[in-house]
Amino acid sequence: MFIEPWIVDETMHEFFVPDYIEQMAEDVLRHYDLSVQSRQVVTTKPDKGGAIWKLETNKGPKSLKLLHRRPTRSLFSLGAQRYLVDVQNANVPPIVQTKEGTDYVEAGGKLWFVAEWIEPLFPVTKDLEGAKQLCYALGEFHRLSKGYVPPKGAEIASRLYKWPKTYEKTINKMDWFRQLAKAYKEMPASAMLLEVVDHFQAQARESFARLQQSSYHQLVERGNSEWGLVHQDYGWSNGQMGANGMWIIDLDGVAYDLPIRDLRKLISGTMADLYRWDVHWVREMIRAYDEANPIDASLYDVLMIDLSLPNEFYKNLKEVVYDPELFLNEQTM
Amino acid sequence: MNILMICTEKLPVPPVLGGAIQTYIAGILPHLRTAHRITVLGVQHETLPNEETIDGIHYVRIPGGIFDTYCDHVVQYVQAHPFDLIHIFNRPRLVLPIRQVAPHAKITLSMHNDMFQITKINREEAEEVVKQVSAIVTVSNYVGQVISELYPEAEGKLRTIYSGVDSERFLPGNHPNMASIRKQLRQAHGIDQKTVILFAGRLSPNKGVDKLIQALPELAKRFNDLALVIVGSKWFSEEGTTDYIAYVRSLAKRLPIPVVATGFVPPNEIQNWFAAADLFVCTSQWQEPLARVHYEAMAAGLPIVTTARGGNPEVIVPNENGVVVERPEDPQDFVEKMTYVLSNRTLMKKMGENGRKLATSLYRWERVASDLLHVWQHVEQIDLSVAPVTVSTEATLDQAVTELSIEPISHVEPSIPEKAIPNKKRKRSFIWAITT
Repeated sequence: MFIEPWIVDETMHEFFVPDYIEQMAEDVLRHYDLSVQSRQVVTTKPDKGGAIWKLETNKGPKSLKLLHRRPTRSLFSLGAQRYLVDVQNANVPPIVQTKEGTDYVEAGGKLWFVAEWIEPLFPVTKDLEGAKQLCYALGEFHRLSKGYVPPKGAEIASRLYKWPKTYEKTINKMDWFRQLAKAYKEMPASAMLLEVVDHFQAQARESFARLQQSSYHQLVERGNSEWGLVHQDYGWSNGQMGANGMWIIDLDGVAYDLPIRDLRKLISGTMADLYRWDVHWVREMIRAYDEANPIDASLYDVLMIDLSLPNEFYKNLKEVVYDPELFLNEQTM
Repeated sequence: MNILMICTEKLPVPPVLGGAIQTYIAGILPHLRTAHRITVLGVQHETLPNEETIDGIHYVRIPGGIFDTYCDHVVQYVQAHPFDLIHIFNRPRLVLPIRQVAPHAKITLSMHNDMFQITKINREEAEEVVKQVSAIVTVSNYVGQVISELYPEAEGKLRTIYSGVDSERFLPGNHPNMASIRKQLRQAHGIDQKTVILFAGRLSPNKGVDKLIQALPELAKRFNDLALVIVGSKWFSEEGTTDYIAYVRSLAKRLPIPVVATGFVPPNEIQNWFAAADLFVCTSQWQEPLARVHYEAMAAGLPIVTTARGGNPEVIVPNENGVVVERPEDPQDFVEKMTYVLSNRTLMKKMGENGRKLATSLYRWERVASDLLHVWQHVEQIDLSVAPVTVSTEATLDQAVTELSIEPISHVEPSIPEKAIPNKKRKRSFIWAITT
């Protein structure tokens, strides 16, 4: 039986998981030397077929994760988690081994694994101090992830060489937004979208040109392992304060990349939350990061270029392709 | 000779999951086995045994998926089994590891896309690969041209062998075997009175079906009977719907003509949609090696509108079996080329007939196999150190045609164009129509 994504409707509990998957979870747990007292779903990805349970066991609280990605891709992330704990002593949850001495169990065509549940964990404050703590911890994470080499049989997950492609895609998708606004021109938000899309597309083109002229191409030549990993989903929930400092959790999406992409996302996302660009915040956040993982001049240039891309416009608009009739309504105005 | 053919780590042979390279291998195998002892080494699949002999061809299936895993198993196999010649499909990175364990075997390569690009194989390794192989056959002049631009020393070893099509399976809609299928499919989707435009391919920006959809509002003003059929998987699935597919779907929803999106169609049923169509449009935006769909469209007797990208125009004799869109990024160019074809029914008919003739003469699997046998024969006789392959494409094509004594409608000049994958398969095939 293969695990497939499932559909959740209004009649179901928000963390609904199909019975056959719960059954598999039980089977998976038999591979562990644990006596499980309780198992509770704490989050799901129904559209992708992933879930996380919190376990209470005779050996303390643990997490059980069903990884939705391809097994060979999950192997890359699991290897990284082990590397960070074993080799680098990083504050990321240690993986609990099976009775057979493996880091995971394969069931339903996916990988499952158990890790320590870190308690207590508190989100840092939603202010500049909190943001700086997050940035420092992120820098530390990046520094420690350098030198990672994935285990045999794992896919190499890397975004390092893909920046130009990603920039080009941003530019091209502005064309899509424009075409859709034209095809759905009677919708309330279409006119406004058409008014601004040229402006943002020009910005994206400018960023792309700057990237191509920057030291990006030389920087990436240092190679995947030299640069280390980005988290890809880092923020106030996946970086939290524990008893002995900041912890970073949910490493399932890690990939090789220039580290500052995580930092850029954190900065531009935080600015979006503030509804304005605040130079003081940006400077302080970069400074806090730089203390843990120094940014040299050429990497700083690339960070500035990445901040110049209309990231937030793109992020907020990209959903339009799925259902323009729903998206381009009054509420979007 | 005792010959080993090595497939890629991605999809199994026979092509139970489809795939252009796998189709190619399956097409030529029946015509190779009489001349040589053939072993096919490929990736395992749950529906196929790890070792079997069918029709005199020995199949061995090993773990794959990831290149490194596959490579290890290939090396192990080659180490234990000596061969006179090893023919590797589209994986130049297998050449050196194989050479290590097979120092005396002749090695030949079959290139189906851009696996020689710098991002796919580093220069140093690629140069050694070129040195070690006796011949490199390519599916289009374009693929060979890109290789020789990167590695000029490959030039003497390159040889284009155009692919083939099963023209017993891909048949025109008016063929007795197809007429009722055509009628039934068209009626079932409410397009029996329409001029049906067919796109078949991956739904991705590279393949560019969005440009065709953008051309259709204008075309619909000029012709009042158009319908569009899109054959390509993932159109419906919640999972795996890319943002591009969502975009294309949202555009298609606004078209003033009927649109039929088939979703995934099993490889063995795809010919039915070709038979149901009236015009085939290929919208490639990228430098395509040479899409198989051209051969299938020809066999199905369809006039072709394709783009001046990569190897695609090499199989088009302009105005004889199709036309070429020079600026595929511009939907207006599709409007103009398609208007030209659609406004002349006699021309459409002639193009379709010519395409069919080409498919049954030049683009037969038997000819593909015979070209490859020529290359192997030549390689057998030469020493690796002096390796220029001298058989020319045109000569062999001429020969193939002469032997058949079929009058080619017009000689295909392999023109050099201007500078210019494994889907998760759905188990079910969906049929969906937007009727406006």
